[in-house]
Amino acid sequence: METAPVTLPSNETCLLSAKPRIAFFDFAGCEGDQLQIANLEEKLLDILAHVEVVSFREIKTGHADDYDIAFVEGSITRPEDEARLKDIRAKAKVLVALGACAAIGGINCLKNFMGEAFYREVVYGPQAGWYRTYAARPLSAVVPVDAEIPGCPIDRLEFARVVKELLLGRTPWLPDYPVCVECKMAGNICRYDLGKMCLGIVTRAGCGACCVTEGAHCWGCRGLFPSANLDAARQVMDNAGFDRRQVQDLMRFFLGDTRAGL
Amino acid sequence: MTAYTVQMEQLPGLFAAWSAQCQVHVPVALETGFYDFSPWRPGTEIAFEYDVAYNPLKRFFMPPREDMIVFDLETYTAKPVFAAPSILLFGVHPYDVKAVTQLDQLMESGSVDQNYFSRRDAAVIFAMTPLAVSDTAFWASVGADKVDQGFDLYWTKIGPGTFHVEIGSGRGEELLLAAGPLAPATAGSREAARKAQVRAKTLGASRSLRFDWRETPHVMGRSWNSSLWHRKAEKCLGCGSCNIVCPTCYCFDIREEVDEKLKAGHRFREWDGCMLNGFALVAGNHNFRPQASERYRHRYMRKGKYIFDKIGELGCVGCGRCVRACTSKIADPCEIFNALWEESRNEI
Ligand code: SF4
Ligand code: SF4
Ligand code: SF4
Ligand code: SF4
Ligand code: SF4
Repeated sequence: METAPVTLPSNETCLLSAKPRIAFFDFAGCEGDQLQIANLEEKLLDILAHVEVVSFREIKTGHADDYDIAFVEGSITRPEDEARLKDIRAKAKVLVALGACAAIGGINCLKNFMGEAFYREVVYGPQAGWYRTYAARPLSAVVPVDAEIPGCPIDRLEFARVVKELLLGRTPWLPDYPVCVECKMAGNICRYDLGKMCLGIVTRAGCGACCVTEGAHCWGCRGLFPSANLDAARQVMDNAGFDRRQVQDLMRFFLGDTRAGL
Repeated sequence: MTAYTVQMEQLPGLFAAWSAQCQVHVPVALETGFYDFSPWRPGTEIAFEYDVAYNPLKRFFMPPREDMIVFDLETYTAKPVFAAPSILLFGVHPYDVKAVTQLDQLMESGSVDQNYFSRRDAAVIFAMTPLAVSDTAFWASVGADKVDQGFDLYWTKIGPGTFHVEIGSGRGEELLLAAGPLAPATAGSREAARKAQVRAKTLGASRSLRFDWRETPHVMGRSWNSSLWHRKAEKCLGCGSCNIVCPTCYCFDIREEVDEKLKAGHRFREWDGCMLNGFALVAGNHNFRPQASERYRHRYMRKGKYIFDKIGELGCVGCGRCVRACTSKIADPCEIFNALWEESRNEI
């Protein structure tokens, strides 16, 4: 199957020879993705033997400015975020977007559907005037991104796999097919057979359809898969008896930044 | 064919004897109202009247994800991996047996798929005459209402508590007699079984091809340029569900992963499907079926023509799983074959 559409900067990024230096950064997000990484526990220790962590707030103190791989979590929600992200981009050989907020804008983009005055007031109350804020967006709206580890939160095993692929000098692989594939492999009963809505039909696989397996449905947290057919998906949801408002609410939950007219 | 009569009250003893030798899987009713195969335990209620197992049985011979090789990056050595758990599938409908015998033929042609056959050879299949049919199935019209090979035993329920059981293999007979001797079939029970099988055929004909299924390859041959492919493919999600749930689809992708120490790894295969955009993507980013309509057509060509050209049977056994699984409701081979036949019948 197709590898994810990432282009690594140059052959220098074949990192196997050296012990690459890695750093973690976060913007608007909950740091849940870094927590997932910390939760890798023993596997994390094995991986860490091959790298040098120069910055990782969740597990160590201290910070250094020379790094090869930057893992960046969170979306860009303020003009001043842009300068910081561009600085990270300039220093890193490989920049990896970590989690839904960084990769696709994610849940932060909910605010993009509200008036600025309204969300300022909701978030900052009387101090609304003190802060600068604008429509939430993924990292790729500001700088080139070399690889993505999608999901809200990320799948820690996928993180481990992508890091290993980078260490071996391979192009990180992401499934280019929808969640339905993994859902069927898991033997789940399709939510549409139960009269429910599900975004697995447009969402990038890689999570093993865990939400459906656990009895819920897919919310689309891994973003659209590359050839997702949104018109067909809307028709499926319409035929299943859901009104436009319900469809829109579900699609805005994580997919608010996609260029699909929602 | 040798046959016996088995009473319902003899089943618990038989199941106990079988499950001492292998994992036994039986059809059960799920909470959701669907049916699927599930491991048998004492007290499991077998759904003799199931219409179709929600998930395809190919998973027992070719799991969704399966290790093929383990390798060592330090010594550059590799070892093949074979798994062959002893299993017994009880109550498999004829169309699903037919799907397995079709896989047997396809996995044997060219280079023999050893992973498949290591599992297949360790499996015992007890077929069963259907007592119900799902509303999406059309197996009777593709000649899959009855099979005469591919089973170790063939069970037909001929009364509220009575089964007529035909022997398909020595292993089957041995297992049938595992809990003691049984009454040989009588002329009466054979006749009752024959009638039950005729009933199944009638039952299964509620949805049908409108022409002899042997004509399908010709219909497909005339339909390459049909506009139907474009009309339908507009609604296709490219989700692959129609492939993944199909008991005769066997395509897979091969990938590798190393361990966290970067010292060893494994090569595994995972189910793949020709409806997925990346399926026909090759080196250099070239996709030899880039359009959804080409992928959509390809699946029907496989089901209606290409497999037939190889082995003389349709690549579709009419189970109807894809019909249900397709959330866009465009994956129905019965509907599509009929529409193409209608479109092209005057072109002969
Ligand atoms: S439940 Fe959702 S993910 Fe699973 S097959 Fe149905 S639509 Fe796809
Ligand atoms: S099933 Fe959907 S919402 Fe759940 S983790 Fe996977 S992509 Fe995200
Ligand atoms: S194509 Fe559809 S109906 Fe035919 S065997 Fe496959 S899943 Fe069953
Ligand atoms: S129909 Fe497609 S997925 Fe199924 S076996 Fe044929 S080529 Fe493979
Ligand atoms: S299940 Fe339906 S929507 Fe999905 S790939 Fe098959 S035909 Fe297309």
